[in-house]
Amino acid sequence: MDYIAPTTLEEAFRALETEDARCLAGGQSLVAMMNLGLVAPAKLVSLRRIASLRGIEKAKDGGLRLGAMTTHAEIAALDEGWLIAQAARVLAYPAIRAFGTIGGSVANADPSADYPVALLAAAAEIEVTSAREARKIPAREFFKGLFETALASGEIVTAIHIPAQCGKAAYEKLSLVVGDFAIVSVAVVEGRIAVGGCTPAPVLLGAEKDAAGLEFMNDQRASAAYRRKVLPEIIRRTVKRCS
Amino acid sequence: MLLNVNGEERDLAATPAATLLEALRAGGLTGSKRGCNHGVCGACTVLLDGKLARSCLALAVDVGERPVVTVEGVSESGLSEVQKALVETGAIQCGFCTPGFVMALTELFLRRAAPARDEIRAALSGNLCRCSGYVKIVEAAEKLAGGKR
Repeated sequence: MDYIAPTTLEEAFRALETEDARCLAGGQSLVAMMNLGLVAPAKLVSLRRIASLRGIEKAKDGGLRLGAMTTHAEIAALDEGWLIAQAARVLAYPAIRAFGTIGGSVANADPSADYPVALLAAAAEIEVTSAREARKIPAREFFKGLFETALASGEIVTAIHIPAQCGKAAYEKLSLVVGDFAIVSVAVVEGRIAVGGCTPAPVLLGAEKDAAGLEFMNDQRASAAYRRKVLPEIIRRTVKRCS
Repeated sequence: MLLNVNGEERDLAATPAATLLEALRAGGLTGSKRGCNHGVCGACTVLLDGKLARSCLALAVDVGERPVVTVEGVSESGLSEVQKALVETGAIQCGFCTPGFVMALTELFLRRAAPARDEIRAALSGNLCRCSGYVKIVEAAEKLAGGKR
């Protein structure tokens, strides 16, 4: 396996042209998958020396721009009124939060992860950049399925844009132990209700989609029937916290 | 590969895909334990750049210049305060998870002189003890914190 740690995005794009090259962000999922023998990249392109991917900026309109290499711990330290800060606070454990990054989590798109559902409710946009262009993809189009995103080959997640938040937000997660991936998670902000952990990609509930109509997943954490049964209560609790 | 471990430069032999845990253990620093090897159990916990880290989830090659502290490096001589508190409280059963708990508590007490029970429990949330000795471990940390109030 080759390893390179470029200091600019341009170098990173060149390094990613190799077949089977992958980005290494915080490594908290990718290295675990490598250890388990689930992936064996030919080349790793470490993003940790690229300064432009770091940091949190407050936008003029009151929103946030989170650089892709911003860690969960840095996001958890934001004011807890922010939905994304609430999600980061219950994401895994201190050692994972110190190194895991939002860009890595978003690109991995685990259906039971905390950010995808929170970003969907927050109407966030995922900024992705390639050697040719940068584009912003709304969260509802970015998360396509089980570990599947709208990222094209050669593109890197470079930032997350979260619009200004009016009013209270709440994030609730049901998990086997504190910090584990969700059996069911619910994010609510400005009347939008998003559900995670239940379907291959998080879903926004609305006129066409209600909680009862979801096709629930069966996995090692819980059965579809269990998820169907507990989801209404988790939604009720989350919505109540926003009132 | 040169790594800064416990305040000294060490030349550790490691393949490009080796984790920091593998490099440390191959270099004779076997205090960090390989439990689950995918970031769940916390037995391999070290300090990386002053922050609590899973050494099984860091690639040795990606550590670079950042300093590493392992359980072998938590005190210059004898046992550290945290280690003494664990011994005095009897907060050890089989001992496999203990190096990870020592690192988690070491990081906590570096950050907070006298942490409250909730903070202790939160700091230990990423470390598993399969003998289920959490009660004594939390008690040891509370005693250490109490002595500093």
